[in-house]
Amino acid sequence: MFDLMGRNSRQGMWAMPLGVAVVIGAVLSFGTAQFATAENLWNLVTQAMPLVITAIGQMLVVLVGGLDLSVGSVISFTTAILALDAPAWVLIPAVFVLAAGIGFINGFVVTRFRVHPIIVTLSTQYIVLGVTRILRPTSGGTVPEVVIAAVSGSLWGVPFAALWGLAVIALAWVLLYRARYGLHLFAIGGGIASGQTEAARNFGLKDRRTVLLAYVACSCFAALAGVFLAGRIVSGDPNVGLLVELDSITAVALGGTQLAGGIGSLHGTVIGAFVLALLANGMNLANVSPFVQTAVKGVILMAVVGLQSRKKMGL
Amino acid sequence: MPDRVTMTDISKRFGANAALTSVSVAFQAGSVHALMGENGAGKSTLMKILAGVHRPDQGEILLDGVKITPAAPRDALDAGISTVFQEHSLLPNLTIAENMFLGREPMRHGIDHRRMEAETAAALAELGLRLDPRRLVSTLSIAERQFVEIAHGIKGNAKVLILDEPTAALNAADVEILNRNIRRLRDKGVAIIYISHRMEEIFALCDRVTVLKDGQWIATHDTADITPDRLIALMVGRPLQDLFPPRGQTTGAEILRLTDLRLTARSRPLSLTLNRGEIVALAGLEGQGQQLLARSLIGAHLPHGGTVAINGKVIPAPSIRSMQREGLGFVPEDRKEEGLFLGLSIAQNITMGLHARARDLAPARSYKAVVARIMAAMKVKGRAGAPVASLSGGNQQKVLLGRYLAAEVQLLVIEEPTRGVDVGAKSEIYALLRDFAAKGGAVLVLSRETLELIGLSDRIYVVHDATIMAEMQADQASEHKILEAALQGGRGADV
Repeated sequence: MFDLMGRNSRQGMWAMPLGVAVVIGAVLSFGTAQFATAENLWNLVTQAMPLVITAIGQMLVVLVGGLDLSVGSVISFTTAILALDAPAWVLIPAVFVLAAGIGFINGFVVTRFRVHPIIVTLSTQYIVLGVTRILRPTSGGTVPEVVIAAVSGSLWGVPFAALWGLAVIALAWVLLYRARYGLHLFAIGGGIASGQTEAARNFGLKDRRTVLLAYVACSCFAALAGVFLAGRIVSGDPNVGLLVELDSITAVALGGTQLAGGIGSLHGTVIGAFVLALLANGMNLANVSPFVQTAVKGVILMAVVGLQSRKKMGL
Repeated sequence: MPDRVTMTDISKRFGANAALTSVSVAFQAGSVHALMGENGAGKSTLMKILAGVHRPDQGEILLDGVKITPAAPRDALDAGISTVFQEHSLLPNLTIAENMFLGREPMRHGIDHRRMEAETAAALAELGLRLDPRRLVSTLSIAERQFVEIAHGIKGNAKVLILDEPTAALNAADVEILNRNIRRLRDKGVAIIYISHRMEEIFALCDRVTVLKDGQWIATHDTADITPDRLIALMVGRPLQDLFPPRGQTTGAEILRLTDLRLTARSRPLSLTLNRGEIVALAGLEGQGQQLLARSLIGAHLPHGGTVAINGKVIPAPSIRSMQREGLGFVPEDRKEEGLFLGLSIAQNITMGLHARARDLAPARSYKAVVARIMAAMKVKGRAGAPVASLSGGNQQKVLLGRYLAAEVQLLVIEEPTRGVDVGAKSEIYALLRDFAAKGGAVLVLSRETLELIGLSDRIYVVHDATIMAEMQADQASEHKILEAALQGGRGADV
């Protein structure tokens, strides 16, 4: 499992955040009565789900040395669209088409005009946020019944949220580890991280298309997180996705994915998202003020990622 | 032999520069065809056109009599044209097997890693290599990577195999393995196009040779019909009297003395002296400790014992900065990675050495006069403000040398002085080094090319097993003698 020579060593150092998650979980189990209850744990999974979904999309972009700062806006935008007065069979496909379009613009400008991903996605973040606020200046409206039902039910005691999570993880796993696409993402990212930007193309890979599709997929994952959140809050909210882009990058980095590209893993990203969810959940239970929570998040990020970079592997 | 590839009337411009002008050349099946020329002659551009990396502005390519227009590397690969590029082109975060199959992965409920690994192991075994196909390429040595690249090029039933300086990173034993495999492929009917600056290899391996100069075709000959001197003359466009300048006449005071230096915990102690006016070489098989010796000298490696004395003064704790202060300059083998700042200009690279010695907050002078003097003395082609990345290998090496000359170093340690440098620039660099020594400096040179060491230096130390086995005068040395000296001592014998 911990081979230092083979494929596993390009998964990044996901074991460390897993350890952090286990420690936080253990402390909370012993320290508080409410934590280790089925209700709270399922609640934790439900709370974590939008971040898990968004972070998985973010990771695809980070693997090729990019970043997507527009995902938070895409989430808010999605809830605003879903709260429009139109039938569900129009709205639900529409949010994914729109998100794919935003991702396409991101990817197109990054790959064709070689503009830095931060600038490109910062621009779309503003644009999409502006449009969202025009559509719905304050929270309101009602999302279709089917969306609400899809996130609030449960099956044999397992909330739908967990099933959503499993489905998304399975989809991403196939994309990343079974399909050629994932290997090509790693290959292109490895080339970028090691300064051989032409290398992947010399192998005959369609590098620009692969990178562009990563941005499209990232936006679509964000839209899915938006659909999930819309079902939870029942209405459209222009601020619900605020700063989620930073949390998603935090989760990706915590999970051992290198921002330079080429190194990282799906499981690491999921673990990273859950570390953040555990922190929030645990500190809420312990009545820690939200301001302190934010500071603790920063400390954990710097500590975990700082220790990882000392043993940068694979590249 | 039938023509496998015919390239007719190929031209290519990059901006204002004509990289190729109406070049026509044919490559035969079952033959090794050398492509020679100075850097910038257009060899790599011609091969990149054949490999689908660049598209020609005019001209046509026939493969087995059928016209092809490779618009992307994929097209050329699919047509049976494989390339081992000069730049390292493997992806470090992928395994050997993944690199071998990248872009054409076998699928069986997802990527079939088992099959990729089995076929990779077989392909490596054919080359006589025993590497685990599951290892990441980042864990391999440079020579191992080179072999994986070659295995990658050979795989997939290539009809045409382009090798762009495949031996630049290989030692003699590995070159022999490579040559054996090239001959095997040739006998199987593959058309092999071989780019190299090493004359011995061309004559040992190739059947035909084509010379390009300034983007134009100059000549194509059977190697049996041409001599090395004639070939060099064709490449540089003028007869070359002698690649190497005459040896030094006088030696001055001692500048460096190593006493009982132990490079590793287990190696036997070595001693070495170097005088002003001398060029001294470290020879031997590759990877026997020459690099480590150089690095302990410049303060980048801490030896396990012994002393380093410069101008008779023992340096208590050699560090990179303290050795710099003693007037020592180091030109590393990998000038792009360790030596030059590729994005910065020629002037900035040259003055780097001067700036490095100044205090951090001292105002940075432009040293315009110094830069102009150095560039003129070294015949660096280009504007002082041009980025170093845009220069040819020879000019890059001159800029790096220029940095140390500008800083007025006394002792120059230089690794692979002419790696990736064309013939014309090679002799200029040799002359510069000799000139540096003649003016009272001292040079310690390391190279994989033993002939270069013999021709360039005054004295040779033979390094083996992280210690010095023998010392000889260069004018009495030969490749055979050096190898003998290296191997005769052997492990454990007392000298």
